[in-house]
This record gives sequence, structure tokens and C-alpha cells, in this order.
Amino acid sequence: MPRQEHHRPEIIHTPESLLRHPLQLFRDMGRDLFASRELAWRLMVRDLSTQYRQSLLGIFWAFVPPIVTATGLTFASNANILNVGETTIPYPAYVMFSMALWQTFTEAVTGPIQAVATAKPMLAKINFPREALVLSRIGQLFFNFAIKLILIAGLFLWFQIPITWTILLAPVALLHLIALGTCIGLLLTPIGALYEDVSRALTFVMGAWLFFTPVIYPPPQEGVFALLVRLNPVTPLLVTTRELAAQGGQISDPQGFWIASAIAIGGLLVSWLVYRVTMPFVIERMSS
Amino acid sequence: MMISEDQTSPLLAPEQPESDVVLSVQGISKKFCRSLRRSLFYGIQDIAGELTGSRRQSTKLRSQEFWALDDVSFDLHRGEAIGLIGVNGSGKTTLLRIISGLIKPDRGCVKIRGQIAPLIALGAGFSPVLTGRENVYANMSILGLTKKQIDDRFEEVVDFAELWDAIDAPVQSYSSGMAARLGFACAIHTDPDILLIDEVLAVGDARFRSKCERRLADLLKQGTSFVLVSHSFQNILNSCTSAVYLSKGRVLMVGNARDVMNEYEKDLFSVRTDESTPVPFVLPPKPPEASTGLDLLSIYFKNADGKMVESPRSGEPTYICAHCRAHRKINQISLFIAIYQPARDNSLALHVSSAYDEESFEIAPGEYELRAYFPYLGLLPGSYSFNIYLKDGSIYVLDLYESFKFTVQGQEKMNRGLFYQPREWQIAEP
Repeated sequence: MPRQEHHRPEIIHTPESLLRHPLQLFRDMGRDLFASRELAWRLMVRDLSTQYRQSLLGIFWAFVPPIVTATGLTFASNANILNVGETTIPYPAYVMFSMALWQTFTEAVTGPIQAVATAKPMLAKINFPREALVLSRIGQLFFNFAIKLILIAGLFLWFQIPITWTILLAPVALLHLIALGTCIGLLLTPIGALYEDVSRALTFVMGAWLFFTPVIYPPPQEGVFALLVRLNPVTPLLVTTRELAAQGGQISDPQGFWIASAIAIGGLLVSWLVYRVTMPFVIERMSS
Repeated sequence: MMISEDQTSPLLAPEQPESDVVLSVQGISKKFCRSLRRSLFYGIQDIAGELTGSRRQSTKLRSQEFWALDDVSFDLHRGEAIGLIGVNGSGKTTLLRIISGLIKPDRGCVKIRGQIAPLIALGAGFSPVLTGRENVYANMSILGLTKKQIDDRFEEVVDFAELWDAIDAPVQSYSSGMAARLGFACAIHTDPDILLIDEVLAVGDARFRSKCERRLADLLKQGTSFVLVSHSFQNILNSCTSAVYLSKGRVLMVGNARDVMNEYEKDLFSVRTDESTPVPFVLPPKPPEASTGLDLLSIYFKNADGKMVESPRSGEPTYICAHCRAHRKINQISLFIAIYQPARDNSLALHVSSAYDEESFEIAPGEYELRAYFPYLGLLPGSYSFNIYLKDGSIYVLDLYESFKFTVQGQEKMNRGLFYQPREWQIAEP
């Protein structure tokens, strides 16, 4: 009950850049992140219920796209149309698992922009911790991944893929992958909310990016292409997650993993700061 | 709704100590740009400025920018209601958005002591396929309540919205009134220290509106402060002790609500008299082919002595005259007059017609002055406009003139009721 507290801190809105008082800013960021957890949960439940209540087949739709993609690619591979080389685990399981990881990454990138776009009317009128929108998206992304995991578990059982204790570490690598995606998404959000070009460009950038990531093929070892794939920061994170979960924990590029992780986590903090500081300007300019 | 025991002599807000200020707006200015393309570009510029930390008080306008708010200041005390008035585009809503922290000011600062809740976006984040119950939880979370707080208030909210049976039905099955009621109920049960109300008192039916007003009155008594934006004079006068009059982003007047409203009303109408209707007001001549056989030539008022006047006086004998020329014989000429009040949401103040009174005249070709005679002009001093129709019978329109602007002069005080009542005072032995 707010009225009992008579000595609540004074809130001051000034034109000054928030970055001029970094300590205050960091304190506010922490406070809002903490304060937004319940709202984020509520928004996530709202969005997921809305999504599933209007659908007859519900969760089924989460299964269909990866199955179709994996089946198609498996056919292409078996018929030698697509020559991806040897994978350490049977190709259908490989491609299904990798696609699930890739889709999670894609959702992490597009999540913040979509969240801000759909919440425009709310953002334009109510001042609430905007971190909640992003947290809610990340929650939904975990939910979607969990559903796909059922399918992947089934495939792993079917192909009798050996699993080691390192699978327990896989979620850590997955978190780093999501952190990288969210970082990119958050950095694009301010411009993306103002200019529609961003979300349009993003669609095909993500399509092209897929081909520079070892998702439907194993990591190439030589050539210019191999170099490009190696420089792609998604590669070490995605590959490491896969290796920890399904390939006996033999990490091929630990150094790359740690560098990419550092980029992801450092970048996430920076992008959060950018998101937070710029949202008032975005709200001012965007149509409600 | 509130302070209703004192409609006639406005009370000044009692002098309050400085420490009781819950909201202090100090010299707020805000730039806006009407061109979307430029506005977006400036947005990017501002973002860059903010990120490099170089952004500070900005005093210069960039090309195509204007001050949407210019040096606005006022204080709000605990338990005080302040009204923001001004025509559309005067910056009221922008000011509310700055106060609620949605957008940053370009100059000045806002100091807030307490929790602010906006009564602006009713039902923000309602998802149509979810039930009322689920939406209450989502909406109140957005407004900043914890699950426990919502649990505690849930029954109250449903009671208030009067949706006992429908609360578990999807919101898309609600009528617009029901959804608005639920939105209002959620917003009003957040128990803030300061409520920002932007033209939302117009939800639901009259009965629900008065319920909302009673609830607001209770909150005010409990020490909640309001900032109320409204075009409606009655809303402001009933709920607010003081008012801020904004025009083109500047504060024209701050003070006692009644004085400010009087000033606002005067301005609303001085804008009108600037277009100054000449006496008599002569209509442009009509080409013969556009004529129906009767042409309205001019419109004017006459006083008791039959002298033409620019503005009639409240309570005095008045003629509204329509000078017309008939080119043919007309069997049942009748006069319709509808008078509107721009200051009260252009509501109809008076609608009279000779046809309703079953009086019409048969005229031969020639010139006539068709008159409505009011022994006492019942309109209070203020600005009005009327539509006048000359008809044959009660339907066939011969000629018309719409939105004739005029003012009523007089001693009667504005806002002390709805109309002038002729009267005399007496005392007698029982």
C-alpha cells in the first residue's frame, strides 16, 4: 500500500542524459529488473495463453516446422543432393537439434523488437519496467525450446545416441547463446521501433546468417568459408552447446567459446543499458 | 461530484505547507516536430546525444520543430485536484506523459513524491481471447501491482466493474462498455498517490460514470492527488480546486478553478468574436437556380425596443430574426432554431421550432422578417452558436444557415447553473 510510506524517495525527471549519473542508473536498472520479474511472468503467461487458446492443435505447431525441415534435409542428404559430410550423430537428430538451437537464437534476436512493437500502445501510455517485455520474451523462448526438447529427446532415444554427464553443462552454453541473441536484439530495438527497415532487413539477414553457421552441416575445416564460419560468433556457442549435449562433451573450440561468451555477456549488459536509456526517445517518436 | 456543497462560491485550496507538494513541475519545455520523417531522424539524433551523454538542456529548435510545451510550471499538493484545460493540441497530454516519466522533457524538471498511476490507457494490454480474470491480473501487473496485491483487490475490482457473471468469459465477448468498466476498475484500484486522468471519465453509462466519480471523490478525501485533463467544464469545476490553462504549450493562467475556467470560456469565445459577425449578418446572395423559392437574406438579434443588437442580454426580451425574401407563395413557412454551446462540448442548449408549436405562416411573394420572440432570454452569458432553418411545413427545408456564432451578455454569473430563470423575491405572511 503506497500511502503508508510517507518518505518515499523523490523521483525527478530532467532532460539530462541518464549516463551522467551512472551509479543511479545502475541502481535503477537493478531495481527495475528485480521489480519486473512478476510482470514478466504475467506477460509471458498472457502471451502464451493467448497463443495457445486460439489454436486447435496448440503445441503441435511447435513440432511441425522442425520435423518438416529435418525430414526435408534428411531426404536431401540421403539422396546426395545435399552433401554435408559426416556428422558425429545421425543426421536427422543432428539437424533437428541444431535447428532447435538456431531457432532459439533467432527468437532471441527478434524477441525484443517484436515485444516492443506489440506493446506499443502500452508503452506509449504507461510507465512500467520495460525490462519486463524482454524478460517475458526470453521466458517464452525457453518455453518453446522446452517443447522442442521433447521431440529431440524422442529422436535421441530412437537413434540411441549416447549421452554423457556433460549434458548438464549444455544449458550454460545455451544461455550464452541466448545472451548473444538478446544482445543483438536489444541493440537493434531502438532503431527497429522507429524504422521498419530493421525488422525487414532482419528477416533475410537471419536467413543468410543460417548458412554461415554450422546448423545443417558440420563445421567445415578448411578454406575461406571455414574461416567465415569460425569468425561467426554464433558458431562456437551453438557448436559447444551441441557438443556438450550430444557429442560426448568433446569441445572442439574452447577458446572460441569463451571469447564468444565474453562478447555475449558483456554485450548484453551494454545493450541493456542502451535499451533502457533510449526507450523514452523511442516512445516519444513512435506512433502509439 | 465533489465539493458539491459549494457550487456557487469557489473555495480556494487551503494554504498548504511546502512539504506537502507531491508533484512539482518546474519550467518544463518540450519540442515536437510535425513531419514524421524529420521527427524520426531527430529521434535518432537525440538517442545518439543521450548515449554519448552530451544531451543536456536544449534551448534551440531544429528545423520544423516547435515548442509543444514552453516553460510550464505548477505544484500539486497532497489531496489536491488540479485541472489541465486548453483546446486540443495545447499540450495537455504531452504534459501528462512527461509527468508520468514516459518521455523526457527538453528543459526543466518534474519532481514527484509518491507513486503515480495513469488513468489514461484503460485496459492496456487486454488480450481479447483471455478471460476477464486473466486480463485483470495482466493489466494490474502492468500498472505495478504484485500478485498478492491483486489477489487482495480482485473481488473489489469485479464488484466495481459489475462483471460478476462475465469475469470468466473472454474479453472479446464483452460489450465496449463492459471492457471500459473493467479497465477503469483495474486502474482505480491501484491506490496511487497521484492519479493522472486524461479524458476517461466518459466510460460506461451515466450510472457507472457517477460511480466512478464517487470513487474518485473518496480517493481525493483519502489524500490522493489528481491531475485531470478534460474539455468538459463541468468535470473540472466539479472535481478541481485549481486549474492550469494551457494554450499552444504555454501556461496562460494558473489559479482557482472557477477563475481559470471563466477565463478559458472568455477566450474560447473571443476567438469567435474575432471573426466578428457584422450586424445584421448578411448572407451571400444566391444564384436564382439554387433558390427553392425562399432565400434567407440576413440574420440578427433585436432587443425589447426593436433595435438591432450584436449580442443579446441574458434574461431580457429578445428577438431572433431571419430576414428573407419569398419568390413564390409558401403555405406553411416555419422557423427552426437550434442553439449550441461550444464551451460545453457543443451540447444542444435550446431547440425551438414554430412547427413544433404548431404555428406557421402563409406568405405571398415579398420580403419578410421571421422572428422568434423570447420574453426572457434563458441563455446564460457565454458563447453560443445556432443553426437556423426556414422550412415549409416541418420537413422541407427552404433555406438555412449553420453555426452562426454569437455571445450572450449579462449580469448572470457563468457556470452557476444551466439557464436563466426569470424571478422575483418576496416575503409574505403565512
